[in-house]
Parts: sequence; C-alpha cells; structure tokens
Amino acid sequence: MFSIAVNDEGIVVLTGRFDASQSDRAREVFAVLKESAVVDFRDLDYISSAGLGVLLATQQRLKKEGKAIKLVHMNRMVRDVFKIARFDLIFEIE
Amino acid sequence: MMRREFAREMASLEAVFDFLHRFAAEERLDAQAAYALDLAVEEFFTNIVKYGRGGAGGVQLEAVRAGATVTVRLEEETPVPFDVTRQTATQFDTPFAERRPGGLGIHIARELLDGLAYDYVDGTSRITLTKHLER
Repeated sequence: MFSIAVNDEGIVVLTGRFDASQSDRAREVFAVLKESAVVDFRDLDYISSAGLGVLLATQQRLKKEGKAIKLVHMNRMVRDVFKIARFDLIFEIE
Repeated sequence: MMRREFAREMASLEAVFDFLHRFAAEERLDAQAAYALDLAVEEFFTNIVKYGRGGAGGVQLEAVRAGATVTVRLEEETPVPFDVTRQTATQFDTPFAERRPGGLGIHIARELLDGLAYDYVDGTSRITLTKHLER
C-alpha cells in the first residue's frame, strides 16, 4: 500500500511502499508544489528508482525557482538507497 | 523453492511483491535482503515490461534459498537478448539539472545484491540475482 498526502502544515507525507506502480499518482501530487517543502519519510517502508525519479524531477523543477524539497525521517534502508544513488548530494536529508 | 509466472504488465507488480514477500517470510530473510530482492526484481521486471523487445508469454520468477544464499531468477522468452550486466553505469558526473534517472535502478540493484548474471539460451533470457544473508 502507498499513500501520499499534504498535511495541514504543508508537509508531504509518504506512507507505505513507493514502487513503479505508484509513480504517476505521486507525480501528480508533487506537480502541485510551488514552494519549498518538507517530505516526511517516517512511514515510508520502501522506495525504488521509480520513486527517486519523481523526487529528482520535482527537485529539478523547484531549484529553477530557487526552491527545494527537504527529506526527513528516512529509515536506514531507504537512506542507503539514496546514498547509493548519490541523491544525498542532491537533497537535504535530515 | 518457489516458482510462478507473471503477466508481462505493470499491473503484475503487486503480485510479484506478494510472491517475494511470501518467499521472504518462509525463508525468514532479514529485512535488508528482502529489500534488496524487492528492489532488484522490481527494476528488472519493469524493465522487461517497458522495453518488451518482442518477448511473448509471461515472466517466470523463481526464488530459492541454499544455506545463506538466496537466488532469484527472472526468465522470459524473447527473440532479442538484452544483457543487463552490460548496462553502462549511471553518469554521476552529469550536472544536477541534466541528471536523469535512466540506469539508476540497475546501478542500485547491483550495489544491493552480491551477484548479477545474465544468460541467453535458445530464445530464453535469464537474469539471475544472488544475495548472501546475514546469519
């Protein structure tokens, strides 16, 4: 199961498993972001390159406007995937 | 050993994960190994679906544990071999603004796995993934 929602504080909350079958849905939500935002990974169990691609495209679009997304509360395995992809150099990760 | 055929479509992904999770539970795989297999199989399965290369029929998935080593194979009949081990590495020196995710999945899969092999015999393409388990 995967869910993506923007909470009352404007934080994008990811839950479950972000695999290739979910990238279209996630892309629609991230496309709405116009300002810098925090993406909360606390309840995200899994991400693959499909999810990384959505985040990369979002960051590239926002950076053109001087804005960015910040990623917080990743579990260890998800963080390892970001490091292997060298996405820790592209995103601020807390 | 578990073996099952999956339709060559993205909608099969959920069933592919169900298959892998049943295998992981039965073989009591550690969380890191299970994650690595999920990610690697997703990357190669979706690659087969997206770039069909004229293949017919479904994709056979086989998972087996022998001691501390797990082997997962993806098999398909296809007229065009595509050696995934010869994929060029992601260009990490590409400027950020131009970076594309292409090739990233295979790079991550290779890093998380302990072995990746490809063979093509009599029209059957076979990708073999191996992962050593933490005892």
